[in-house]
Amino acid sequence: MAVYRRSSRTRYVLAVLVLAALTLVTIDARSNGTGVTSDIRARANDIFSPLQRATHAALQPIGNFLTGALDYGSLRRENQRLRDQVAALQNQSVQAGAEESAAAQVMALRDLPFVGSISTVTAQVIDNGSSNFETAVTIDKGTNRGIAVNQPVVAAGGLVGTVQAVSVTTATIVLITDPAFNVGVRLDAANVGTAQGLGLTEPLRVTVDTTGAPHVPKLVKGQAVVTSGLEYENFPPNIPVGTVASYSLTAGAIEPDITLTPLVNLNQLNYLDVLLWSPQ
Amino acid sequence: MSPRVVARLRIGLLLVVAILIQTTLGNDLRAFGVAPDLMVLVAICAGMTGGAESGAWVGFWAGLITDLFLVTTPLGLAALTYCLIGAGVGALRSWVLPESRLLAPVAALVGTATAVLLWVVLGDMLGQGQLLDAGRTWLIRVVVVEAGWAAVLALPVSWIYGWAARGLVGADRVGSTGGGAVRTERVPLR
Repeated sequence: MAVYRRSSRTRYVLAVLVLAALTLVTIDARSNGTGVTSDIRARANDIFSPLQRATHAALQPIGNFLTGALDYGSLRRENQRLRDQVAALQNQSVQAGAEESAAAQVMALRDLPFVGSISTVTAQVIDNGSSNFETAVTIDKGTNRGIAVNQPVVAAGGLVGTVQAVSVTTATIVLITDPAFNVGVRLDAANVGTAQGLGLTEPLRVTVDTTGAPHVPKLVKGQAVVTSGLEYENFPPNIPVGTVASYSLTAGAIEPDITLTPLVNLNQLNYLDVLLWSPQ
Repeated sequence: MSPRVVARLRIGLLLVVAILIQTTLGNDLRAFGVAPDLMVLVAICAGMTGGAESGAWVGFWAGLITDLFLVTTPLGLAALTYCLIGAGVGALRSWVLPESRLLAPVAALVGTATAVLLWVVLGDMLGQGQLLDAGRTWLIRVVVVEAGWAAVLALPVSWIYGWAARGLVGADRVGSTGGGAVRTERVPLR
Protein backbone atom coordinates (compact mmCIF):
# COMPACT_ATOMS: atom_id res chain seq x y z
CA MET A 1 0.00 0.00 0.00
CA ALA A 2 2.88 2.35 0.85
CA VAL A 3 4.33 1.73 -2.57
CA TYR A 4 0.95 2.43 -4.19
CA ARG A 5 0.53 5.68 -2.25
CA ARG A 6 3.99 6.88 -3.25
CA SER A 7 3.34 6.02 -6.91
CA SER A 8 0.04 7.92 -6.98
CA ARG A 9 1.63 10.85 -5.18
CA THR A 10 4.39 10.94 -7.78
CA ARG A 11 1.84 10.95 -10.57
CA TYR A 12 -0.07 13.72 -8.84
CA VAL A 13 3.06 15.84 -8.42
CA LEU A 14 4.04 15.28 -12.05
CA ALA A 15 0.57 16.23 -13.27
CA VAL A 16 0.58 19.43 -11.19
CA LEU A 17 4.03 20.44 -12.45
CA VAL A 18 3.14 19.73 -16.07
CA LEU A 19 -0.03 21.80 -15.73
CA ALA A 20 1.93 24.62 -14.11
CA ALA A 21 4.45 24.60 -16.96
CA LEU A 22 1.72 24.56 -19.60
CA THR A 23 -0.02 27.44 -17.83
CA LEU A 24 3.18 29.48 -17.92
CA VAL A 25 3.66 28.69 -21.61
CA THR A 26 0.10 29.74 -22.39
CA ILE A 27 0.34 32.98 -20.42
CA ASP A 28 3.66 33.84 -22.07
CA ALA A 29 2.45 33.01 -25.56
CA ARG A 30 -0.68 35.13 -25.13
CA SER A 31 1.20 38.07 -23.67
CA ASN A 32 3.30 38.38 -26.85
CA GLY A 33 6.47 39.64 -25.21
CA THR A 34 4.75 41.95 -22.73
CA GLY A 35 2.97 41.27 -19.47
CA VAL A 36 3.78 39.42 -16.29
CA THR A 37 6.09 36.76 -17.78
CA SER A 38 8.33 39.31 -19.47
CA ASP A 39 8.39 41.25 -16.19
CA ILE A 40 9.48 38.09 -14.40
CA ARG A 41 12.26 37.57 -16.94
CA ALA A 42 13.36 41.19 -16.65
CA ARG A 43 13.47 41.03 -12.83
CA ALA A 44 15.37 37.75 -12.94
CA ASN A 45 17.94 39.26 -15.32
CA ASP A 46 18.33 42.28 -13.05
CA ILE A 47 18.88 40.01 -10.03
CA PHE A 48 21.29 37.69 -11.79
CA SER A 49 23.30 40.30 -13.72
CA PRO A 50 25.70 41.22 -10.86
CA LEU A 51 26.29 37.52 -10.24
CA GLN A 52 26.83 36.95 -13.96
CA ARG A 53 29.30 39.83 -14.16
CA ALA A 54 31.27 38.46 -11.23
CA THR A 55 31.17 34.90 -12.53
CA HIS A 56 32.10 36.04 -16.02
CA ALA A 57 35.12 37.93 -14.69
CA ALA A 58 36.19 35.03 -12.50
CA LEU A 59 35.76 32.33 -15.14
CA GLN A 60 36.97 34.23 -18.19
CA PRO A 61 40.54 32.86 -17.99
CA ILE A 62 39.14 29.34 -17.78
CA GLY A 63 36.79 30.06 -20.66
CA ASN A 64 39.61 31.40 -22.81
CA PHE A 65 41.68 28.31 -22.06
CA LEU A 66 38.79 25.99 -22.92
CA THR A 67 38.02 27.88 -26.12
CA GLY A 68 41.64 27.62 -27.14
CA ALA A 69 41.77 23.93 -26.30
CA LEU A 70 38.55 23.07 -28.13
CA ASP A 71 39.39 25.22 -31.15
CA TYR A 72 43.11 24.41 -31.15
CA GLY A 73 43.22 23.23 -34.74
CA SER A 74 41.38 26.21 -36.18
CA LEU A 75 43.35 28.57 -33.98
CA ARG A 76 46.61 27.19 -35.33
CA ARG A 77 45.38 27.59 -38.90
CA GLU A 78 44.13 31.08 -38.20
CA ASN A 79 47.41 31.94 -36.50
CA GLN A 80 49.40 30.74 -39.51
CA ARG A 81 47.12 32.62 -41.89
CA LEU A 82 47.56 35.79 -39.91
CA ARG A 83 51.32 35.31 -39.78
CA ASP A 84 51.39 34.94 -43.56
CA GLN A 85 49.23 38.02 -43.92
CA VAL A 86 51.47 40.08 -41.70
CA ALA A 87 54.53 38.96 -43.60
CA ALA A 88 52.90 39.94 -46.91
CA LEU A 89 52.01 43.38 -45.58
CA GLN A 90 55.51 43.92 -44.37
CA ASN A 91 56.89 42.93 -47.71
CA GLN A 92 54.70 45.56 -49.34
CA SER A 93 56.00 48.15 -46.90
CA VAL A 94 52.54 48.60 -45.22
CA GLN A 95 54.20 48.83 -41.85
CA ALA A 96 53.20 48.80 -38.22
CA GLY A 97 51.62 52.21 -38.63
CA ALA A 98 48.88 50.82 -40.87
CA GLU A 99 48.35 47.91 -38.49
CA GLU A 100 48.11 50.25 -35.54
CA SER A 101 45.61 52.40 -37.42
CA ALA A 102 43.46 49.37 -38.23
CA ALA A 103 43.66 48.15 -34.63
CA ALA A 104 42.72 51.60 -33.36
CA GLN A 105 39.63 51.64 -35.59
CA VAL A 106 38.65 48.20 -34.38
CA MET A 107 39.14 49.11 -30.77
CA ALA A 108 37.59 52.57 -30.90
CA LEU A 109 33.89 51.73 -31.07
CA ARG A 110 32.99 55.38 -30.81
CA ASP A 111 34.57 56.15 -34.20
CA LEU A 112 32.56 53.71 -36.27
CA PRO A 113 32.04 55.43 -39.62
CA PHE A 114 28.69 53.80 -40.33
CA VAL A 115 27.13 55.03 -37.07
CA GLY A 116 27.30 58.67 -38.06
CA SER A 117 25.56 60.97 -35.61
CA ILE A 118 23.43 58.28 -33.94
CA SER A 119 23.85 58.18 -30.18
CA THR A 120 25.25 54.96 -28.86
CA VAL A 121 25.64 53.12 -25.57
CA THR A 122 28.67 50.88 -25.18
CA ALA A 123 28.03 47.75 -23.14
CA GLN A 124 29.93 44.66 -22.11
CA VAL A 125 28.69 41.18 -22.85
CA ILE A 126 28.05 39.27 -19.60
CA ASP A 127 26.36 36.21 -21.05
CA ASN A 128 27.58 34.90 -24.38
CA GLY A 129 24.57 32.65 -24.74
CA SER A 130 24.81 28.91 -24.37
CA SER A 131 21.49 27.82 -25.85
CA ASN A 132 21.82 25.65 -28.93
CA PHE A 133 18.56 26.89 -30.46
CA GLU A 134 18.81 30.57 -29.71
CA THR A 135 21.71 32.80 -30.64
CA ALA A 136 21.58 35.65 -28.19
CA VAL A 137 23.89 37.46 -25.79
CA THR A 138 23.21 39.58 -22.73
CA ILE A 139 24.84 42.95 -22.07
CA ASP A 140 25.22 44.87 -18.84
CA LYS A 141 23.19 47.95 -19.78
CA GLY A 142 19.43 48.30 -19.93
CA THR A 143 16.63 50.85 -19.70
CA ASN A 144 18.70 52.79 -17.18
CA ARG A 145 20.89 53.86 -20.14
CA GLY A 146 18.08 54.44 -22.60
CA ILE A 147 18.17 51.04 -24.28
CA ALA A 148 14.87 49.82 -25.68
CA VAL A 149 13.56 46.81 -27.57
CA ASN A 150 14.30 46.65 -31.34
CA GLN A 151 17.28 48.99 -31.22
CA PRO A 152 20.12 47.90 -33.53
CA VAL A 153 23.37 46.64 -32.04
CA VAL A 154 26.74 46.90 -33.75
CA ALA A 155 30.38 46.08 -33.12
CA ALA A 156 33.52 47.29 -34.84
CA GLY A 157 32.96 45.17 -37.95
CA GLY A 158 29.27 45.84 -38.47
CA LEU A 159 25.83 44.65 -37.49
CA VAL A 160 25.56 42.27 -34.55
CA GLY A 161 21.82 42.02 -33.95
CA THR A 162 18.91 43.73 -32.30
CA VAL A 163 17.66 44.21 -28.75
CA GLN A 164 15.04 41.55 -28.08
CA ALA A 165 14.38 42.04 -24.38
CA VAL A 166 15.46 44.65 -21.86
CA SER A 167 15.40 45.09 -18.10
CA VAL A 168 16.63 47.93 -15.95
CA THR A 169 20.26 46.82 -15.94
CA THR A 170 20.55 44.30 -18.77
CA ALA A 171 19.47 43.75 -22.34
CA THR A 172 19.33 40.60 -24.44
CA ILE A 173 20.52 40.87 -28.02
CA VAL A 174 19.38 38.42 -30.66
CA LEU A 175 22.24 37.92 -33.10
CA ILE A 176 21.99 38.17 -36.88
CA THR A 177 22.59 34.41 -37.14
CA ASP A 178 19.46 33.56 -35.15
CA PRO A 179 16.83 31.84 -37.33
CA ALA A 180 14.26 34.35 -36.11
CA PHE A 181 16.34 37.34 -37.25
CA ASN A 182 16.12 39.10 -40.57
CA VAL A 183 17.36 42.44 -41.93
CA GLY A 184 16.84 44.34 -45.16
CA VAL A 185 20.03 44.60 -47.18
CA ARG A 186 21.06 46.52 -50.30
CA LEU A 187 22.55 44.29 -52.96
CA ASP A 188 23.16 46.90 -55.66
CA ALA A 189 21.76 50.22 -56.78
CA ALA A 190 18.51 48.65 -57.99
CA ASN A 191 18.08 45.60 -55.80
CA VAL A 192 17.35 44.99 -52.17
CA GLY A 193 16.79 41.77 -50.27
CA THR A 194 16.32 40.24 -46.84
CA ALA A 195 19.12 38.46 -45.02
CA GLN A 196 18.00 35.78 -42.58
CA GLY A 197 19.97 33.90 -39.97
CA LEU A 198 20.23 30.11 -40.13
CA GLY A 199 22.13 29.34 -36.93
CA LEU A 200 25.34 30.29 -35.18
CA THR A 201 27.69 28.39 -37.45
CA GLU A 202 25.78 29.00 -40.69
CA PRO A 203 25.98 31.88 -43.17
CA LEU A 204 23.05 34.25 -43.63
CA ARG A 205 20.66 33.45 -46.46
CA VAL A 206 19.58 36.32 -48.68
CA THR A 207 16.18 36.41 -50.33
CA VAL A 208 16.13 38.89 -53.17
CA ASP A 209 13.17 41.22 -53.55
CA THR A 210 13.08 41.59 -57.30
CA THR A 211 9.77 43.37 -57.53
CA GLY A 212 10.17 46.13 -60.09
CA ALA A 213 13.93 45.66 -60.49
CA PRO A 214 15.27 45.97 -64.06
CA HIS A 215 17.83 43.21 -63.58
CA VAL A 216 18.91 40.42 -61.25
CA PRO A 217 21.60 41.49 -58.79
CA LYS A 218 25.07 40.30 -59.67
CA LEU A 219 27.41 39.96 -56.73
CA VAL A 220 30.93 38.64 -56.36
CA LYS A 221 32.34 36.58 -53.54
CA GLY A 222 33.77 38.77 -50.83
CA GLN A 223 31.65 41.78 -51.75
CA ALA A 224 30.39 43.68 -48.69
CA VAL A 225 26.65 44.05 -48.17
CA VAL A 226 25.06 46.77 -46.04
CA THR A 227 21.64 47.43 -44.53
CA SER A 228 19.14 48.99 -46.89
CA GLY A 229 17.51 51.26 -44.31
CA LEU A 230 14.27 51.42 -46.27
CA GLU A 231 11.07 52.79 -44.80
CA TYR A 232 9.65 50.51 -42.06
CA GLU A 233 12.99 48.78 -41.65
CA ASN A 234 14.28 48.35 -38.10
CA PHE A 235 17.83 49.35 -39.02
CA PRO A 236 19.40 52.57 -40.28
CA PRO A 237 21.02 52.39 -43.72
CA ASN A 238 24.60 51.50 -44.62
CA ILE A 239 25.54 49.35 -41.63
CA PRO A 240 27.83 46.55 -42.86
CA VAL A 241 26.16 43.18 -42.47
CA GLY A 242 28.40 40.65 -44.17
CA THR A 243 30.38 39.64 -47.20
CA VAL A 244 29.10 37.45 -49.98
CA ALA A 245 30.03 33.85 -49.16
CA SER A 246 28.39 32.29 -52.20
CA TYR A 247 26.44 33.43 -55.24
CA SER A 248 24.82 31.19 -57.81
CA LEU A 249 22.19 31.78 -60.44
CA THR A 250 20.97 28.62 -62.09
CA ALA A 251 19.59 28.77 -65.62
CA GLY A 252 15.92 29.66 -65.60
CA ALA A 253 15.88 30.73 -61.95
CA ILE A 254 14.27 34.05 -61.10
CA GLU A 255 16.45 34.75 -58.10
CA PRO A 256 20.08 33.92 -57.33
CA ASP A 257 21.08 31.93 -54.26
CA ILE A 258 23.13 34.23 -52.08
CA THR A 259 24.69 33.62 -48.68
CA LEU A 260 26.59 36.06 -46.50
CA THR A 261 29.31 35.61 -43.92
CA PRO A 262 28.77 38.02 -41.02
CA LEU A 263 31.48 40.64 -40.80
CA VAL A 264 31.56 40.49 -37.01
CA ASN A 265 33.05 37.46 -35.27
CA LEU A 266 29.99 36.50 -33.23
CA ASN A 267 31.91 33.91 -31.21
CA GLN A 268 34.15 36.53 -29.61
CA LEU A 269 31.88 39.35 -28.53
CA ASN A 270 33.10 41.41 -25.60
CA TYR A 271 31.93 44.98 -26.15
CA LEU A 272 28.98 46.12 -28.24
CA ASP A 273 27.39 49.43 -29.18
CA VAL A 274 23.63 49.82 -28.98
CA LEU A 275 22.34 52.45 -31.38
CA LEU A 276 19.75 54.64 -29.68
CA TRP A 277 17.77 54.79 -32.87
CA SER A 278 14.24 53.91 -33.87
CA PRO A 279 12.61 53.78 -37.30
CA GLN A 280 10.90 56.99 -38.43
CA MET B 1 16.76 23.32 10.34
CA SER B 2 15.85 19.80 9.34
CA PRO B 3 18.15 17.87 7.01
CA ARG B 4 15.46 17.94 4.33
CA VAL B 5 15.26 21.74 4.35
CA VAL B 6 19.05 22.04 4.28
CA ALA B 7 19.21 19.61 1.38
CA ARG B 8 16.60 21.57 -0.54
CA LEU B 9 18.52 24.79 0.04
CA ARG B 10 21.68 23.11 -1.23
CA ILE B 11 19.88 21.92 -4.33
CA GLY B 12 18.56 25.44 -4.90
CA LEU B 13 22.07 26.82 -4.56
CA LEU B 14 23.31 24.14 -6.94
CA LEU B 15 20.76 25.25 -9.54
CA VAL B 16 21.85 28.89 -9.19
CA VAL B 17 25.51 27.98 -9.54
CA ALA B 18 24.74 25.74 -12.49
CA ILE B 19 22.89 28.47 -14.40
CA LEU B 20 25.69 30.96 -13.69
CA ILE B 21 28.27 28.51 -15.05
CA GLN B 22 26.01 27.67 -17.97
CA THR B 23 25.51 31.30 -19.00
CA THR B 24 29.10 32.45 -18.48
CA LEU B 25 31.15 29.39 -19.43
CA GLY B 26 28.77 27.41 -21.61
CA ASN B 27 29.58 29.31 -24.80
CA ASP B 28 33.29 28.63 -24.31
CA LEU B 29 32.62 24.90 -24.09
CA ARG B 30 31.12 24.67 -27.57
CA ALA B 31 32.33 21.63 -29.47
CA PHE B 32 31.32 21.63 -33.16
CA GLY B 33 29.30 24.71 -32.28
CA VAL B 34 27.19 22.93 -29.63
CA ALA B 35 27.27 23.85 -25.95
CA PRO B 36 26.52 21.46 -23.06
CA ASP B 37 23.36 21.82 -20.99
CA LEU B 38 24.11 21.63 -17.28
CA MET B 39 20.55 22.25 -16.17
CA VAL B 40 19.03 19.18 -17.78
CA LEU B 41 21.96 17.18 -16.44
CA VAL B 42 21.10 18.28 -12.90
CA ALA B 43 17.49 17.21 -13.51
CA ILE B 44 18.65 13.81 -14.73
CA CYS B 45 20.88 13.42 -11.67
CA ALA B 46 17.92 14.31 -9.46
CA GLY B 47 15.87 11.59 -11.10
CA MET B 48 18.61 9.02 -10.74
CA THR B 49 19.27 9.88 -7.11
CA GLY B 50 15.83 10.61 -5.70
CA GLY B 51 13.40 8.93 -8.04
CA ALA B 52 10.63 10.25 -10.26
CA GLU B 53 9.24 12.82 -7.84
CA SER B 54 12.62 14.41 -7.16
CA GLY B 55 13.38 14.37 -10.85
CA ALA B 56 10.09 16.12 -11.61
CA TRP B 57 10.58 18.82 -8.97
CA VAL B 58 14.21 19.57 -9.74
CA GLY B 59 13.56 19.32 -13.48
CA PHE B 60 10.71 21.82 -13.23
CA TRP B 61 12.80 24.40 -11.36
CA ALA B 62 15.91 23.79 -13.47
CA GLY B 63 13.85 24.30 -16.61
CA LEU B 64 12.12 27.38 -15.24
CA ILE B 65 15.44 28.98 -14.36
CA THR B 66 16.68 28.16 -17.86
CA ASP B 67 13.55 29.75 -19.35
CA LEU B 68 14.34 33.01 -17.55
CA PHE B 69 17.45 33.41 -19.73
CA LEU B 70 15.84 32.56 -23.07
CA VAL B 71 14.01 35.19 -25.10
CA THR B 72 12.69 33.47 -28.21
CA THR B 73 10.86 30.59 -26.53
CA PRO B 74 7.98 30.87 -24.05
CA LEU B 75 8.48 30.76 -20.31
CA GLY B 76 7.66 27.26 -19.16
CA LEU B 77 8.83 25.27 -22.20
CA ALA B 78 12.11 24.15 -20.64
CA ALA B 79 10.32 23.67 -17.29
CA LEU B 80 7.87 21.29 -18.95
CA THR B 81 10.61 19.42 -20.82
CA TYR B 82 13.06 19.02 -17.96
CA CYS B 83 10.25 18.06 -15.56
CA LEU B 84 9.21 15.21 -17.84
CA ILE B 85 12.80 14.09 -18.40
CA GLY B 86 13.65 14.15 -14.69
CA ALA B 87 10.52 12.19 -13.86
CA GLY B 88 11.11 9.74 -16.67
CA VAL B 89 14.69 9.05 -15.66
CA GLY B 90 13.61 8.68 -12.05
CA ALA B 91 10.85 6.24 -12.96
CA LEU B 92 13.16 4.11 -15.10
CA ARG B 93 15.77 4.18 -12.35
CA SER B 94 13.27 2.85 -9.83
CA TRP B 95 11.65 0.21 -11.99
CA VAL B 96 14.11 -1.04 -14.52
CA LEU B 97 17.71 0.09 -14.46
CA PRO B 98 20.25 -2.06 -12.64
CA GLU B 99 23.13 -0.73 -10.61
CA SER B 100 26.19 -0.11 -12.69
CA ARG B 101 29.12 2.25 -12.81
CA LEU B 102 28.09 3.12 -16.34
CA LEU B 103 24.56 4.00 -15.26
CA ALA B 104 25.19 7.71 -14.74
CA PRO B 105 26.91 8.43 -18.06
CA VAL B 106 24.50 6.25 -20.04
CA ALA B 107 21.43 7.71 -18.37
CA ALA B 108 22.79 11.22 -18.91
CA LEU B 109 23.53 10.51 -22.55
CA VAL B 110 20.12 9.02 -23.32
CA GLY B 111 18.26 11.48 -21.10
CA THR B 112 19.90 14.52 -22.66
CA ALA B 113 19.35 13.30 -26.20
CA THR B 114 15.70 12.68 -25.36
CA ALA B 115 15.45 16.09 -23.70
CA VAL B 116 16.69 17.90 -26.81
CA LEU B 117 14.25 16.09 -29.07
CA LEU B 118 11.38 16.50 -26.62
CA TRP B 119 12.10 20.22 -26.28
CA VAL B 120 12.03 20.72 -30.03
CA VAL B 121 8.89 18.61 -30.48
CA LEU B 122 7.02 20.31 -27.63
CA GLY B 123 8.21 23.70 -28.86
CA ASP B 124 6.98 22.97 -32.37
CA MET B 125 3.63 21.82 -31.00
CA LEU B 126 3.38 25.07 -29.04
CA GLY B 127 4.02 27.24 -32.08
CA GLN B 128 7.80 27.63 -31.88
CA GLY B 129 8.54 26.62 -35.45
CA GLN B 130 11.80 28.57 -35.45
CA LEU B 131 13.41 25.74 -33.45
CA LEU B 132 13.46 23.70 -36.65
CA ASP B 133 14.59 26.54 -38.92
CA ALA B 134 18.24 25.68 -38.43
CA GLY B 135 17.66 22.36 -40.14
CA ARG B 136 17.80 18.65 -39.42
CA THR B 137 21.58 18.48 -39.63
CA TRP B 138 21.95 21.04 -36.86
CA LEU B 139 19.36 19.23 -34.73
CA ILE B 140 21.20 15.92 -35.08
CA ARG B 141 24.48 17.62 -34.26
CA VAL B 142 22.99 19.19 -31.14
CA VAL B 143 21.53 15.86 -29.99
CA VAL B 144 24.79 13.99 -30.48
CA VAL B 145 27.18 16.56 -29.05
CA GLU B 146 24.98 17.59 -26.11
CA ALA B 147 24.49 13.94 -25.21
CA GLY B 148 28.24 13.44 -25.44
CA TRP B 149 28.87 16.37 -23.15
CA ALA B 150 26.31 14.98 -20.70
CA ALA B 151 28.04 11.61 -20.66
CA VAL B 152 31.39 13.28 -19.94
CA LEU B 153 30.03 15.54 -17.18
CA ALA B 154 27.62 13.00 -15.66
CA LEU B 155 29.88 11.56 -12.99
CA PRO B 156 31.12 14.84 -11.47
CA VAL B 157 27.66 16.44 -11.64
CA SER B 158 25.99 13.38 -10.11
CA TRP B 159 28.58 13.34 -7.33
CA ILE B 160 27.92 17.02 -6.62
CA TYR B 161 24.18 16.50 -6.73
CA GLY B 162 24.45 13.50 -4.42
CA TRP B 163 26.29 15.67 -1.90
CA ALA B 164 23.70 18.45 -2.23
CA ALA B 165 20.77 16.05 -1.87
CA ARG B 166 22.03 14.33 1.29
CA GLY B 167 19.14 14.42 3.71
CA LEU B 168 16.62 13.81 0.97
CA VAL B 169 17.50 10.17 0.41
CA GLY B 170 14.20 8.67 1.36
CA ALA B 171 12.81 7.99 -2.02
CA ASP B 172 12.90 4.61 -3.69
CA ARG B 173 16.35 3.25 -4.25
CA VAL B 174 17.01 0.56 -6.75
CA GLY B 175 19.20 -2.32 -5.73
CA SER B 176 20.08 -5.51 -7.49
CA THR B 177 20.25 -9.08 -6.39
CA GLY B 178 23.19 -11.29 -7.18
CA GLY B 179 21.44 -12.70 -10.21
CA GLY B 180 20.95 -9.32 -11.83
CA ALA B 181 17.23 -9.02 -11.15
CA VAL B 182 16.00 -5.69 -9.88
CA ARG B 183 14.17 -5.09 -6.62
CA THR B 184 12.95 -1.95 -4.98
CA GLU B 185 13.71 -1.25 -1.36
CA ARG B 186 12.56 1.52 0.92
CA VAL B 187 15.16 3.55 2.76
CA PRO B 188 13.90 5.42 5.83
CA LEU B 189 14.33 9.18 5.98
CA ARG B 190 17.18 10.35 8.14
